[in-house]
Amino acid sequence: MAITVKLDRMLLERGMSLTELSERVGVTIANLSILKTGKAKAIRFSTLEAICRELDCQPGDILFYEPDL
Amino acid sequence: MKALGKGSLASILAAGLHIVRVVIFVAFAGLAIAAVMLPLGPALLELASRVEGVNVESDLVIEGGDYIRLVYYFVTFGVMLYIVNRLLEILRTLRFGSPFVKENAVRFRRVGYALLFGEAAKLFFGFFSLVSGAEIDVKIELIAWIGIAAVFVLAEVFHEGARMKEEQDLTV
Repeated sequence: MAITVKLDRMLLERGMSLTELSERVGVTIANLSILKTGKAKAIRFSTLEAICRELDCQPGDILFYEPDL
Repeated sequence: MKALGKGSLASILAAGLHIVRVVIFVAFAGLAIAAVMLPLGPALLELASRVEGVNVESDLVIEGGDYIRLVYYFVTFGVMLYIVNRLLEILRTLRFGSPFVKENAVRFRRVGYALLFGEAAKLFFGFFSLVSGAEIDVKIELIAWIGIAAVFVLAEVFHEGARMKEEQDLTV
């Protein structure tokens, strides 16, 4: 998929673990892992909003468009 | 009525289909015995008549039509067994709570092809019965062809359902 999720970098910058983010956002670790590994087919606005709120960032800081070669 | 678990329609259907499968297996065994005995029948009677003190009188006549009928029953029971097995696999996924998987779409499609093959075989053997006098009762039943179309439609619906379920599962 041309959209990639770079959650790792943001988590590292904020010094937050995936487990902690999962608890704060209210999304299971399994679902966050799906998002982190790029297996997700879609992301709800509510999830995106919660992640941006907890990581204090913009959607553009975690979602990137990289055209398929 | 419950969809899953004990006393559900799925479990009742599964139990019924298991019984049907056993009945078809028994019928298959009977046909296999008949397939072996049919060509040996006259020879066995001939052999028995040669034994001293044994009086064999028989008007047993085996014609080509009998063999065609036997093959017809083999094909019919084979198709039925194949369909019952696929339906049991679909019901198993329903019992585990995940019927909307791509495999079930494929299974429904296979059921459709099996039914199509069964109907085509019926027409084929019907044609041969006219030639050989095998006495196979063949009728073109519109309801059967509509049923086949319904199974293919169901397969496509399941295919789309499985795609939607996958998308739903991968939505975070």
